[in-house]
Amino acid sequence: MNIIETKSLCKIFRDTAQEVYAVNNVDLSITAGEFTAIVGPSGSGKTTLLNMIGGLDTPTSGSIIVDGKDISTLSENETTAFRLHHIGFVFQAYNLIPVLSAKENVSFIMELQGRPKAEIDSRASELLGAVGLADRMDSRPAKLSGGQQQRVAVARALASRPRFVLADEPTANLDSKSAANLLDIMVKLNEQEGVTFIFSTHDPRIVAKARRIITLEDGGIVSDRSV
Amino acid sequence: MNIILLAWKNIWRNKVRSGVILAAIAIGLFAGTFLASFLSGWMVGTVNDDVNTHLSHVQIHNEAFIANSAIDAFFMKEAVEPKIRAGGISAPMSSRLRVTGMLASPHKALGITVRGVDAADETRLSTIHTLIPDSMGSFLAEGERMPVVISRKIAEELKVKLRSKIVLTVQDAAGEMQSIAFRVGGIYKTTNAIYDEANIFVRYSDLLPYTALPEGAVHETALRFDDLETCELIAPTVTELLPDMKVQTWGELNTMLGMSLAWTDMMAVIMIGIFLLSLSFGIINTMLMAVLERTREIGMLRAIGMSRGRVFRMIMAETVLLTLFGSCIGILLGVCIIIPSMSSGIDLTFLMGDLFEDYGFGSVIYPVLNMKMFVQIICLVIATGILSAIYPARKALALKVLDAVRH
Ligand SMILES: Nc1ncnc2c1ncn2[C@@H]1O[C@H](COP(=O)(O)OP(=O)(O)O)[C@@H](O)[C@H]1O
Ligand SMILES: [Mg+2]
Repeated sequence: MNIIETKSLCKIFRDTAQEVYAVNNVDLSITAGEFTAIVGPSGSGKTTLLNMIGGLDTPTSGSIIVDGKDISTLSENETTAFRLHHIGFVFQAYNLIPVLSAKENVSFIMELQGRPKAEIDSRASELLGAVGLADRMDSRPAKLSGGQQQRVAVARALASRPRFVLADEPTANLDSKSAANLLDIMVKLNEQEGVTFIFSTHDPRIVAKARRIITLEDGGIVSDRSV
Repeated sequence: MNIILLAWKNIWRNKVRSGVILAAIAIGLFAGTFLASFLSGWMVGTVNDDVNTHLSHVQIHNEAFIANSAIDAFFMKEAVEPKIRAGGISAPMSSRLRVTGMLASPHKALGITVRGVDAADETRLSTIHTLIPDSMGSFLAEGERMPVVISRKIAEELKVKLRSKIVLTVQDAAGEMQSIAFRVGGIYKTTNAIYDEANIFVRYSDLLPYTALPEGAVHETALRFDDLETCELIAPTVTELLPDMKVQTWGELNTMLGMSLAWTDMMAVIMIGIFLLSLSFGIINTMLMAVLERTREIGMLRAIGMSRGRVFRMIMAETVLLTLFGSCIGILLGVCIIIPSMSSGIDLTFLMGDLFEDYGFGSVIYPVLNMKMFVQIICLVIATGILSAIYPARKALALKVLDAVRH
């Protein structure tokens, strides 16, 4: 079953003079358990597409069905709750709350969900262990390297038990070694826990790890291949 | 990690900025409370000084005496005192002759008010006898011949000393001028220089023969209760007991003083209100900075699913915590500084010399911390915190999630 389905999805930005088709007529289906990369040159519409799938931006036309539900019909508060309970996010930067430790950052989202304290505690530890940060749980973000911070962000994204994780250029600010390391962790979580990942990148070495590669150009899909 | 704990951690992101606003709140609250209790103590002290030395809590006169202070506007002591005692009031009481006249030494003459008193009654009623140092004589002690008690100020003006002879001239009820020779038997000094300028005491029995008034005639009866609150309770009873007389409380006898006391508390609250208003701009500014420099982070929180309500509550909690914490420090400062000074008093002579006394105020001030006012101030501070929180919290909600997550 498809967990994400877009139909004729369009996003048009209207500047003073011109119209930009940031996402142009995208039909896309994602099934559970995928590990999918969205690639394309800068300005090709990757961020815009991921934002719409994540309920952070609204389409100009077309529809996005997540788990059989058209998310463009939800109110603002419903969309927020939908994001909290169904989607995990990893952003390029500024993922973490600086005053909280790694473990508190991971716990925070589960607290927003209102999960029981014991579950929050064990799951946060377990996830930080899974991303290789068992010994840095009490460190604040400023004391962690960029790669470690992104790993905390991945753990945080998984903590809420989402249907899928959206990661918009999660390695853009990382050196190649940290980037490869982060990807390996994501691959492992995908394989072992069956977490669905959809991430964007323009780094060819990262793309190589994906099992499905969707290429965008000028807002449209120009190729979609599975490896 | 509940929202309060997160808010608390957020406050300490910028220690200097939060510290400055905390100090402003704490010092402001402390200064406001101190000022209020200082003013209140000053006024209560002034009122009590005046009440104890000369004003007393209640004075009773003829209606006519109020209008013209004429010597023939007298009443009979026996017509008043027994009625008061019969009404169950056992407070110290003194009935006096009160006549205006001239007091002359070989050097100079002064217009004064002379009171003919029963020394024993007067000693029970007022503390004026305690304001005569041993070296300055006594308050109309027995055995002295024709003693007069004058103030140090009058003594200096007239260039007279203890035992000096001075002449009092009054107009008796028949319109005749009477000159009476007295000897200075005591020299007092109150904290009220204005009073000291023009008030002297002689024995009732020494003055009466020169007034052409019948034995037992007096112009005023004064009563002193335990404190201002008791006065407020009992004064109406005195009025009821003496329907034909004019019964006035200290606040009516000295309207300036009465009004000052009533206004001091209110003024203090108004001043603190104005201070809080300016403080709230500081709080708003601080929190607005705190929100705006966290645009991306707040956007990220909204993106991962933190609701608008929670973001709003988080910023509100930060502001209110900041205000509460500042207030606690302020209250602690207040308790540590104001409460000890309430019993030790604050001597202002070093600051102003005798300036205060020249205007009728005591120069040692005992601050009075009015609990009701204290609670009012705390409530005002907290209300200020909450009101100041609303604008920055709304600003945080107005941030666009997308702007925050886009690169
Ligand atoms: N808020 C916006 N206003 C106007 N144009 C925008 C806005 N966001 C994106 N665009 C335009 O949409 C196109 C796609 O942008 P984006 O989705 O960020 O591409 P990518 O993430 O692949 O670099 C670009 O041409 C960009 O300039
Ligand atoms: Mg992008």
